[in-house]
Amino acid sequence: MSDGRLRLTILGGALGSGKTTWARHQLFAGAFGPRVHVLVNEAAEVPVDDQLLARADGVTVLAGGCACCDGRAALIAALREVCDLRSRGMGPEQVLLETSGLADPGAIAASLRADPVLARHLRLDGIVVAVDAVHAMAQLTEDPLVHRQIAVADRLLLTKVDAATPEDVARLQAGLRQRNAGAVIEGCQHGVGVVLPPPSDLFPSLPPSPDAPDPSVAATLQIPDGLDWAEVMVWLSALLHARGDRVVRVKGVIPSAAGRLLVQAVRGVVEAPELLPPGAREGDGRLVLLGRGISEAVLARSMRGFLDLPDVEAGKL
Amino acid sequence: MCTACGVPAAPGPWTEAGAASAGDRLRARARQVRHLDRLLRPFGLTVAESGTVPGFQLGRLTGEVVLVPDLPSVWVEAARMLGRAVDPLAAPYV
Repeated sequence: MSDGRLRLTILGGALGSGKTTWARHQLFAGAFGPRVHVLVNEAAEVPVDDQLLARADGVTVLAGGCACCDGRAALIAALREVCDLRSRGMGPEQVLLETSGLADPGAIAASLRADPVLARHLRLDGIVVAVDAVHAMAQLTEDPLVHRQIAVADRLLLTKVDAATPEDVARLQAGLRQRNAGAVIEGCQHGVGVVLPPPSDLFPSLPPSPDAPDPSVAATLQIPDGLDWAEVMVWLSALLHARGDRVVRVKGVIPSAAGRLLVQAVRGVVEAPELLPPGAREGDGRLVLLGRGISEAVLARSMRGFLDLPDVEAGKL
Repeated sequence: MCTACGVPAAPGPWTEAGAASAGDRLRARARQVRHLDRLLRPFGLTVAESGTVPGFQLGRLTGEVVLVPDLPSVWVEAARMLGRAVDPLAAPYV
């Protein structure tokens, strides 16, 4: 449902994971519509990827600094300029931000939300993260950033699946599902979507992050029947305030007076909730939380204790 | 969008997004105030919503009252007053 704001998709993933290849194909196929502006952030001084994205309505290159740290000011300035153009009726309808492989998309989303201008003009449509099916296991062993990128994704693209064995793809898929239960996992090769093999149920675990002894885990919390959405907000807002540094991602659909409310948060920053089309779906009334030091049992006890709910049968809350 | 200056309005507080009508908003606010007051009283803080001023009135038992605009800001202000955050994952809640 559009609220008039410019829609932004953040595309992240490790260096060489196939971000530009995927973006090229999506632009060619018109997946982002006719008026999409592409912002390419490259940590290197000499940009390359913009040459490959000729199908976009416009391309802005932010070279020489990663958009989540050194290049943050340049990114905000570039996005403000796009918003300014759009306010005058000349700008695009969508923006695709291809981050450098060294960027944390969650940190970028948080800094855009904190900007007083962009918060009014931009709506984050989603975070897409490319995961190299061939090299992901090695990258996960060595690089904590890859763990952070995976944890904040709405869509995980398993790239180069033709170059990996079906068994490796199935294991990786199961591991990703365990780390980020809220994300949609898709396969692609050369930017084109392919059907993935069913996820393996054997040895699904991924290597732990080198910088965090307790790995990031996904916990699914069932909102008890009869609990009002306004009360869920009391618990969730307190949790994100106190533990926003450890709860990396929250995603879920909460039934509310206005309808099915999609609530999403990245590192304690909550995107304006979106009303989904009516009609109950499987998964409604559940929150998926990703982070360190959390578990389904602890979260369920916390919600019950914090909101002073009566005991319910085990597994319900 | 502000009709005077053309600046788009900021999205409202995410904690109030589920209300479909003014009545829903009032009911939700009343429920939230009940919970907040119950949760913060053990820390020597009170929460009220008079209906005459926007937002929540967060007070100390000494009589000091701070107006906060929305639910997330209640936790920020309470943490400032208490010197630490109210943590739902800590005792006595878990």
